[in-house]
Order: sequence, then C-alpha cells, then structure tokens
Amino acid sequence: MVAVLDRKLFRDLRHTVFLVAAITLIIATGVACFVAMRSSYNNLVTARDSYYSECRMADFWIELKKAPVGEVARLGDLPGVTEVRPRIQFFATVDLPTSESLLNALVLSMPDERLETINDIVVRQGSYFTPTRAAEVIVNEDFAVRHGIKPGQWIHLLLNNRRQELFVVGTAISSEFVYMIGPGAILPDPEHFGVFYVKHTFAEEVFDFDGAANQAVGRLSPTVRARPQEFFRQAELLLAPYGVFAKIARKDQPSNFFLSSEIDGLRTFAAIMPTIFLGVAALVLNVLMSRLTEQQRTVIGTLKALGYGHGAVLAHFLKFGLLVGLLGGVVGCGLGYLLAEGMTALYGQFYRFPALPNRSYPDIYAAGIAISLVCAVAGSVHGVRLVLRLQPAEAMRPKPPPSGGAVWLERCGVLWQRLNFGWRLVLRAIIRQRLRTSVGVIAAALGAALLSAGLMMVDSSLFMVEYEFKQLSRSDVDLTFESERGRDALLEVERLPGVDLAEPTLNVACTMSNGPLSRDVGIMGVAANARLTLPRDAQHRPVAVPENGLMLTRALADRLRLRVGDTVTVQPIKGLQREHTVPVTAISDGYIGMAAYADIEYLSRLVGEEYALTGAQLALDRNAEARRRLDRALKEMPAIQAVNDRAALLQNLRETFLQNLWIFQVELIVFAGVIFFGSIVNASLVSLSERGREVATLRAIGYGPWEIGSLFFKESAVVSALGTLLGLPLGYVLMLLLARTYDTEMFRMPVVVHPAALLQTVVTAGVFIVAAHLFVQRKIMRLDWLEALKAQE
Amino acid sequence: MIMSDNSASSLDASDVAARPLVKMVDVTKTFQMGEVEVRALAGVSLDIFAGEMVVMVGPSGSGKTTILNIVGGLDSASSGDVYYRDIDLAGMSDRELTRYRRNEVGFVFQFYNLVPNLTALENVLVATELVREPMDAHEVLDLVGLADRADHFPAQLSGGEQQRVAIARAIAKNPELVLCDEPTGALDYRTGKSVLGLLVRLKRELGKTIVVITHNAEIGHIADRVVRLSSGAIVELVANERPLPPEDLVW
Ligand SMILES: Nc1ncnc2c1ncn2[C@@H]1O[C@H](COP(=O)(O)OP(=O)(O)OP(=O)(O)O)[C@@H](O)[C@H]1O
Ligand SMILES: [Mg+2]
Repeated sequence: MVAVLDRKLFRDLRHTVFLVAAITLIIATGVACFVAMRSSYNNLVTARDSYYSECRMADFWIELKKAPVGEVARLGDLPGVTEVRPRIQFFATVDLPTSESLLNALVLSMPDERLETINDIVVRQGSYFTPTRAAEVIVNEDFAVRHGIKPGQWIHLLLNNRRQELFVVGTAISSEFVYMIGPGAILPDPEHFGVFYVKHTFAEEVFDFDGAANQAVGRLSPTVRARPQEFFRQAELLLAPYGVFAKIARKDQPSNFFLSSEIDGLRTFAAIMPTIFLGVAALVLNVLMSRLTEQQRTVIGTLKALGYGHGAVLAHFLKFGLLVGLLGGVVGCGLGYLLAEGMTALYGQFYRFPALPNRSYPDIYAAGIAISLVCAVAGSVHGVRLVLRLQPAEAMRPKPPPSGGAVWLERCGVLWQRLNFGWRLVLRAIIRQRLRTSVGVIAAALGAALLSAGLMMVDSSLFMVEYEFKQLSRSDVDLTFESERGRDALLEVERLPGVDLAEPTLNVACTMSNGPLSRDVGIMGVAANARLTLPRDAQHRPVAVPENGLMLTRALADRLRLRVGDTVTVQPIKGLQREHTVPVTAISDGYIGMAAYADIEYLSRLVGEEYALTGAQLALDRNAEARRRLDRALKEMPAIQAVNDRAALLQNLRETFLQNLWIFQVELIVFAGVIFFGSIVNASLVSLSERGREVATLRAIGYGPWEIGSLFFKESAVVSALGTLLGLPLGYVLMLLLARTYDTEMFRMPVVVHPAALLQTVVTAGVFIVAAHLFVQRKIMRLDWLEALKAQE
Repeated sequence: MIMSDNSASSLDASDVAARPLVKMVDVTKTFQMGEVEVRALAGVSLDIFAGEMVVMVGPSGSGKTTILNIVGGLDSASSGDVYYRDIDLAGMSDRELTRYRRNEVGFVFQFYNLVPNLTALENVLVATELVREPMDAHEVLDLVGLADRADHFPAQLSGGEQQRVAIARAIAKNPELVLCDEPTGALDYRTGKSVLGLLVRLKRELGKTIVVITHNAEIGHIADRVVRLSSGAIVELVANERPLPPEDLVW
C-alpha cells in the first residue's frame, strides 16, 4: 500500500518538475553557500594552524633599541614563556638592476645553521644557508618571483649605509608574512616590499650588533597566550634599560591580524548568506506544498476515506518535501565543493601559504544536507497542516469557490473604479493570496537586500581606496629617513628631479595615556597648511591641524575618553622618553583607526628639537621621464630607510583588488538572481496551475497569450517591486551589520550608499522579474487551454 | 477584415439565403489518444444563417461540443472547410483566430467559467475591454436582470445567476455569433427557462445568431432549426415554422 503512494509521489514530482527545480535551485544555492564558505573557512583555518605550527609562529614580538642577547634570553624565565629567540631586524633598501625604483626590504636574522626555531621559514627554492659564505641571503618568494631573483645570483642591499653584496641561496615563505604587509602599511605590496633573511652572525657584524639583538620573538603557554598583559608588563620591566619600543601580541601582528579578520568575516558570511537562501527556499516551498495539497484535496480525502491513517498521508506529503530537501542538499554540496575550490584559490592569491588545498569535509556536507532537510520540512509545514485539517467527506467535495468579498482597496472608491479589470484581478489576487504574496515580498526583499548590501560593500571598499589615496594622504611617494633629520633634508628632497611638492613629516611613536587608559600610537607631525596630508571630519571636509596641541582621530579619542579641551599624557617610546602633558585641540574623523596629528614644529619641540623630520611626502610630476630621473636620484641618496611608492601601490590595487570586486559583483547578481528568479517562477507557475481554467476561458473569449501573460506579469512585478523597495533599507541594515563585523581598532568600514548601487539593485531586480516572466510566458503560450477548458477541476 | 463589421446582422431573407454566416463543408474531426483514434465528427456539413437560432441535440459524445468549438475558433477541423462570412477558418493564424474569437464570437460555457476573483460587473468588463464598440456593461447586466448584483462575486451568486452573468459576458462584446454549450445543463427548471428566454430575446431584439447545445430535445421547440446529431454525423435537420416562446415549454 505504501508502494502505490510512492508511485504517486514520483508522479507528483514529475508533474511539478519546474517548480521542484526552482526550489531545489534556491535550496542548493543556500547549501552551496554554506558548504563553500564553511569549507573555505576550514581550509584557511587548517592551513593557518598547520603553517603556524610548522613555522613555530611566535606569540609575541618585543621591539628593542639594542639589548644583549643574554638579557633577552632572560625573558624565558618569566612565567608562561616557553621559548625565546633574540633577533636582529632592520629596514633597508634594495637596489635591483631590473627595477627602476628603489625597493624596500625588511632584513631579519636567522640561525646560521638549520635548526627548529621560532618564526621559521619554509624554503621554496634553493636551500637554507650554507657554511660556504658569510654573506648569504634567502629572499621571500613573492618578491623573488616578481623580480626574477633566483638562487645562485648576487644582489645588493644597502645595509647600515653600506652597500653589501649577498649571495642568494634560496627563496622562502614564512608564517609571519602570510599577508605580505609592510610595517605601518595597510595594504600588501609584494612588488615593492621584500623580506630578506640573513645569517645571524652576518647581521651582528654589519649592524654592529655583536652579542646583541633588537627584537625578541617567543612563544607562550596557552593560559598566558590568552591574557598576555601581565607578561608584557614584566617583560617591559626586565628590558626597560635597553629601550622597549613596541610589544606586539600575536593578535595584533599585522599579517595575523588581517588573516584573522578575513577568517572572522568569512565565518559571519557563512552564517548570513545561507540563512537568507534557505529562509527563502523554506518560504517558497510552503507556497508549493500548500498548492500541492490543495490540488490533491480530493485524493487526500479519498485516501483517508479508504482507510489510510493521518500518519500515512502525512508521511507521503512530508516525503515529497524531504526528497526536495535531499536533492537540494546533495546538489548544493557538489556546487559548494566547486565554489570552495574557487574561493580558496582566490584567498591563495592574497594570503601566502605553503599549500592551501581545498579539502572535502564530510561533517560540513552532513550539516549542509541536514540543514537542507530541516528547511524542506519547515517548508512543508503549511501544506501538512492543510492535510491534517481536511475531513475525508469535506475533502472529497470539490473545492469551494474562493471566498469573495471586497478587499479593502475597493473602498478607495474612485481610484478603484478607474482600474481596468486586469488590475483589479491582479490586486485582488495579491491581497487575497496572503501567504503567496508575503513569501514573494520577503524573497524579493532578501534578494534585493543581499544585492544592495553587496554593492554597498563594493562602493565602500572603493571609497576606502579613494579616501586613503585621494583625500587623506595625497602624496605619490613617501620617503622615510633612517633617522631624524633637520631642515636641510627637506631642501635636499625638494631639489630632487620631478618633485612638484615636498612636505616634511615627523613620526613619533609614543604611549598616550589618560589616567588608566593608554594606547601606543604614532603621532604624525605635518607642516602647517600641509596639502598632502589632510585629516578630515565626519563629512569628509579637511580639518586643519592645530598649531598647538594634538589632533586625535575619533577612534583614539573615544578609546581614551578624550574631548577637545582635555589634556593627554604623551611619552615618546624612543629617544629621551620625556613625558609631556599636552592639550587635545582638535578631533578628526575617518576610517583609519588610531592616529594623532600635530603641527611639525610643535611636535619637534615636544621631542626636544628645534625642527625635525623623519620623512617626506612627495607629489610628483606626471611625466614618465621625470619619474625615471627621480628613481635614479633616490637610488643614489643615502640614509633613506624606505620609499613608499603609493602611486604604484594604487595601480597595483586597481589591478588585483578591483578585478576581484568585479567577480564579487557578478556572484552577487547571480545569487540575487537565483532568489528573484526562483521565487517568481515558483509563484507564477503555482498560480498558473490554479488558474488554468480562468486562463482558458479568457483565451476562448478572445484574449491573446501576451494579454493573459501580462496579468501574471503585473502580479509578480507588483509583489517583487514591493519586495525590492523594502529590500533596499534592509540591505542598508545588512551593510551596517557587516561593517560592524569588520570594525576593529585599526579600521572602520565606511558605509557608503550611492544612488547608483540602489539603482543597479532595482534594475537587476527588474531584469530578473522580466526574465522569470518570459519563462512563465512560454508556459502560458504552450498551455493546452482547450484541454483546461474541458477539464473539471 | 473579419473584425470590422459588427452591425451587419441583416434579417433580409434573400440575403440570408444567399450567404450563410457560417458554412461547414464535410468537416471531420479525429482525436488522437495515444494508439487509438477517436472520430468525433464524421463529415458534417451545416450552414448557419445570420439572425437564426439553431439548437443542437444529440446523445452524449455525439460531437456537439466539438462542432461548437470548431465554429467558435477554439479548435480546428481535421478535414473539410469551415467558413465564416466566406473566410476560411483553417487558413487563419493563431493571432487571427484570437481576433476572430474576440470580435465575432460570444461563448457561453456549460460551467459558466466566471473569473472567481472578479465581480459580476467586472466579469462583463473582461469582455467589453477587449473590443472597440462594446455594449455598456451595466446595460447588459440589466438586460440579464442582474443590475442589482453587479458587485457580487461569483461565489455569492446562484448557478442561474452565474450563467446569466456568463451570457452577459458573451453578448457584451456585441458579437455576431453567440455559442452556448448546454447553458441550462446545471440549472433547475425555472432558471433554465429564464435563461432560454434571455437567449430568444437576444435573437429577436438584437438580431444575434445563436447556437445552443442541449441534451434536452424539448428545448428544440424554441429554435428556428434543430440539428440532431448522432455519432459525429447530422442525422436530422428540422426547420420550425413557428418556434415556441420558452415560457410554453414543458419538460
Ligand atoms: N480532447 C479529446 N480527446 C479525445 N477525445 C475527445 C476529445 N474531445 C472530445 N473527444 C471525443 O469526441 C467525441 C465527441 O465529443 P463531444 O465533446 O463533442 O461530445 P458531446 O456531444 O459534446 O457530448 P456531451 O453531451 O457529453 O457533452 C466523444 O467521443 C469524445 O470522447
Ligand atoms: Mg459537450
């Protein structure tokens, strides 16, 4: 007896193949999102964890002026410290014959011989150091690849103002630089920034660091790792005589910081996106299932009359839902695996791991299918309730005509009278079919929210780039000197070829405190009326840097509970370290987290100088030849620690990042399209199947297929347009939520709403509404209406 | 073209004799049901003249609905010719057929086929909005005696009332030809009679050409001519010299 019902089930599926396909598509997309994002998340986490343990990734970095190795090693006696390595690190510039511009280097010391060590490297090409020469170097892979550096070759580094020739023994990557970001930078620039590993003994010699180090890296026991404040306090006490410049926990280490926020963001997305899809799928399924039960009310009644119990009939209908769920789940897992492959590959372009394979995760697949089934069952609830409520006798009678009565709109009188019958029909259907209309509105709203939030994200990212490069700091090239210089340095820079404008900068790292609240930040001193650095207020208007006192960013001011007019204690980390109490005279807004600005002369006096600068910002002549002459001149210029080529970085950014944004937009449109298309096709086909007789009658009276189609089109257009309009504010809310998840001390995500994004959402919705209707229209054209006219429903 | 001339319903006898409104010549219709062929019409020739009322009777399955569907442009003949004012229906495209149904034909279905989500008046508007010179929807409703029920939905109307709305819908377009498939089939005796009375008035007062299908041989008495069908063929064609008014029918 069950077998017969199963045969019926099979036929039901076949008869509603398009509807089932539409719903399966939505479920599958949701499951695919879930699987892809969870898998990518797992891929990243697994790769990170194994990379970190392979390289013995440090838990802390302490930067020092110069300390005896023996003293640094005493950190190991502090509670919770399991391992310490004293290291020498310096910034340098690289002069490559293949590159016109000067490139930046971070030089790090490594043990002379291969041994397990903290922040180890993974050799990719060539080998580790050999005993043959003192001056050997291992270059980080990205940089080597981009500049064609191969093992066996000699390169020149400007170390401690001496040009050194080093023999390249290998290329390598390290867990310290999964995200290849230079110190202080906010964007990776593997083209202009390389890491160079040299033998520790070699570093001791060239930097005059015999038996000394300027950095301690180490590992902590799990409990201390979780709360390292006490350790840092003790470490500072221990090493204070040697100048502690910075204490960095792993969570604040730039590469790890960016990787972790990416991973966290992915986890948020993995929760939001599938929820939207599966929610829509469950709702849409409800519409279909109630229609199926409606359509089969006589069958249900007859089955019940024949003696099938509630349970058997119920199971039969649930099975239908479960099959759809299973189908969606399985298809979704397959799609999700492929999608994860693509996403993981994309992450691999930005985050460098020894290997970032896309693995299969049976538990994720099981979860995906389970979610899909739950969603399918939830989607069947409404239909099932109808089944349960039906009494056999009542069920076998033909369905009573839909209840009449005027809808509230009709009381609007004049307006209603002016509508033609088509619109009246459409509006009544919309108002009377409450379940279907709400599902349609919700689905369209979610689709539009997804799309508009995504587009706002894109605009916000573009805005961030625009803001950083065109509004906040507008220089083409930033120079950093090896040490503080006087006014003469600025004159020297101004005289460089191709420089239109040069402005001095003075960076002072310091600890800023207000009572118990304190933060380590850099104060940037800029010239009065500087044109290349323009801090801004919340409306993006430039705010002048005050002649006296400090300007804090809002994030910093909030964190330290400071307002204009308050005073703050400032203690420079390097140099004399004299404490000052200075007024807060202005507050700027913006998206870059903690920063402070001051007039360069005021800041110079604060650090005990008459006039000091640590770098310069340059605006350049746009002429290529002038640029080449500048690059040549910079290569000759001594005492330059870093050249930050912002113009090239922007260019690079446009090529990689913005391209991926394009892919992201297409994906969004496809996802939103699945929702729009799936829900509209479903609603229209369900209503077409209900109204077959009506359609046939209209055809017989003399209506053409397009005129009839327009009734269906109007209905889905009104419902979807309403949903889309509601979706726009919803998208804004979604965007706010997303921005909040990316909100950190370092960054704040702007929420940018361009009318164009809203328009694009509306237009995309329109296109999908029309496309879905064309599909439905084809069904209307092919409808055997003469048959429908004869059939007695 | 066919759609233009709605008012050409002339009652001039010689003209009528010369030129039938609808002419069926040796029409057959075969339905393909999988392996088997069902022959619904086996060579039917019939002329229907403007302004007359034809009643078709015959047992179930004899082909009455099939003829009506073919004449009304809902279905096409398998062989033979069907002319409407000398235009061959078989030669019309889908679009032309739609125009034909729209402008020339009014259909009254056995099961009313009203649009459930529209009021009585709106169900008539469905038809009037289609054509350029329709009758006034309110007047038509008045004609079928439902002026006071204009704002009621089909679910709020009785069967007979629904059928009268269906007739109003059929004639509101002001078509030349009104085709009724068992308009009284689902109605009781008295309601049935009033519906028939309405059809007779349509013929007399508006000069419409009316074809009525029925199971009930008695109804034949109100017609100008009665066509008796059996197994897809016309077995008898009777002209009534003096059609009875519907009130005098007894069944
Ligand atoms: N779509 C179809 N497919 C197959 N056979 C059909 C189809 N439509 C009609 N027939 C067959 O054609 C024959 C004539 O049918 P038709 O509907 O014209 O009969 P009818 O005289 O109107 O009968 P009734 O009085 O019962 O309405 C019947 O045998 C019927 O089974
Ligand atoms: Mg019939």
